[in-house]
Amino acid sequence: MSFVEPEERVALRQAVRDLAKRYGPDYVRRQAKAGLKSTELWDEVGRAGYLGVSLPEEHGGGGGGIADLAAVGEELARAGCPLLLIVVSPAICGTIISRFGTEAQKQKWLPGIADGSFKMAFGITEPDAGSNSHNITTTVRRDGDEWVLTGQKVFISGVDESDAVLVVARTKDAATGNLKPALMVVPTDAPGFTKTMIEMEIAGPEKQFQLFFDDVRLPADALIGDEDAGLLQLFAGLNPERIMAAAFAVGTAKYALDRAAEYAKTRTVWRDRPIGTHQGVAHPLAQAAIHVELAKVMTQKAAWLYDSGDDFGAGEAANMAKFAAADAAVEAVDQAIQTHGGNGLATEYGLAPLLAATRVTRIAPVSREMILNFIAQHTLGLPKSY
Amino acid sequence: MKIVVCVKQVPDTEAEKRLLPDTLTVDRESSNPVLNEMDEFAIEEALKLTEAHGGEVVVLTMGPDGADAAVRKALSMGAHSGILLSDPALAGSDAVATSYAIAQALGTTEYDLVILGSEASDARTSLVPAMLAERLGLPQLTFASKVEIDGTSITVNRLTDYGHDVVQAQLPAVVSVVEKINEPRYPSFKGIMAAKKKPVAALDVAAAGIDAALVGQAAAATTVVDAAQRPPRSAGVKVTDEGDGGVKLAEFLSAQKFI
Repeated sequence: MSFVEPEERVALRQAVRDLAKRYGPDYVRRQAKAGLKSTELWDEVGRAGYLGVSLPEEHGGGGGGIADLAAVGEELARAGCPLLLIVVSPAICGTIISRFGTEAQKQKWLPGIADGSFKMAFGITEPDAGSNSHNITTTVRRDGDEWVLTGQKVFISGVDESDAVLVVARTKDAATGNLKPALMVVPTDAPGFTKTMIEMEIAGPEKQFQLFFDDVRLPADALIGDEDAGLLQLFAGLNPERIMAAAFAVGTAKYALDRAAEYAKTRTVWRDRPIGTHQGVAHPLAQAAIHVELAKVMTQKAAWLYDSGDDFGAGEAANMAKFAAADAAVEAVDQAIQTHGGNGLATEYGLAPLLAATRVTRIAPVSREMILNFIAQHTLGLPKSY
Repeated sequence: MKIVVCVKQVPDTEAEKRLLPDTLTVDRESSNPVLNEMDEFAIEEALKLTEAHGGEVVVLTMGPDGADAAVRKALSMGAHSGILLSDPALAGSDAVATSYAIAQALGTTEYDLVILGSEASDARTSLVPAMLAERLGLPQLTFASKVEIDGTSITVNRLTDYGHDVVQAQLPAVVSVVEKINEPRYPSFKGIMAAKKKPVAALDVAAAGIDAALVGQAAAATTVVDAAQRPPRSAGVKVTDEGDGGVKLAEFLSAQKFI
């Protein structure tokens, strides 16, 4: 692993920045306020091939890695116009299908996921199975050539703008005990599939949903991979999710620090000197910048490990990166608001919505407590506490 | 059809530019070098023309070490190959010398059409396209907002103060384009990955057949005598509308001879 990114990724970052510059936070705010989605941005990012950078070339992708996709996610967030569903559609669903799907499934789903014309949400969390995925009760059973899915999910992102949801279920034969996940592609227009929006205090175009599966009938090829593949194929998608969440947090933190630095350079309170000359303003921002950079390096390490095929090593690093990036983002946004004083909460400056947007990264996709459990157990060899 | 697009690497368009105090040339260290924005429209037009008529796009730049990044950007957008003309002897060349050097470099390749952006965002002289056409002895179709090719005939809408002229010529020709002409594409990820493998020929003054005595700052026909920061923008006139806003506005415009 090099600490200097290859020139292609530097060029990719620049290309994404150039594109995102034309949208920015105003676009996202406008769309969200009007009840619309970031459709134009998503489509343009998809057409340029940036959504599909990590997917295989033979299925319409760019042939790069999660490190490339993380760069895309980070740059969009840094431009103030993140696309939440990058975390889900290409990073989780695209990765799982490309690694474990049959050739026919890859041909069916990946080209659309890669160019953005097909969006796939991801459903794992249930009302009684949040941090503890082993409590999942959504069940799928065979009926002739078909599958029948029953159960429910909660906090599923972007279902209203998705064509399908990759649902983590159990097979009837493995309905209890440790989770043996069966990953099912469920079209959002399937009979028996209903969704209810969950009102959230997060201002963004992407919405959260509760889902109900009432005997949803699915074709034989709806099962991705193998029902006996176990947790491996699930984690093949969850590690990229953590890496992408970390990249989102890093990008958002950098966006907040950019705004704060800009403000601190121009705002004067005493003797015509910008407030950035006051160390009480400068040092907390500098400290936040250090934490953001550390989180970014960890995110790059996690992506590098993942792309090199080390799933277990990537798991530890991705957890650490997500943990560090979430804390750094919360700190950066808090300090950016502090730098702005009252303007920090004024609508015009657009910083207040970042409070919720970054706070959520300490909870999702995996809580900081569960990460600490993981590190305590696997890194330090401490006894399992739960 | 073979199209050569001439591009320039310039200091970041959005950054504040500085001149070096001793030479009064642009301080290239003071901001990030980027591909001149207008040149992206030239590249896009060349790509569209070859997509419609077949052929290839060669991107040519003259610049210091590192100018190859501008060529790579063009290659990542889809251009097929590049030519990088770089030599310390070229440093400080003015528009006259630049047009000569580019004309000589163009002599190392074949082409049916040369496309340029109508100006670079650093010097903004808009001189090179016309001078280049003169040097090559080719028709110049400048400030094009639309380009059409039919066989060996080229027709452009040439932007003017009053609208546009329709100008026609026979290929080969030199065209400069304005921003209105198209919307440049973003380099795709595949394009970025492929750009690294595309051939870029390196030329120095000897290889391009350039007489070093005719280029560089010493040979410049123009000299920058002095430079000063633009004065800060002064506050404008504020008119509070007390029912007579329309009249005040008309008075202002009339005083400025707009109406």
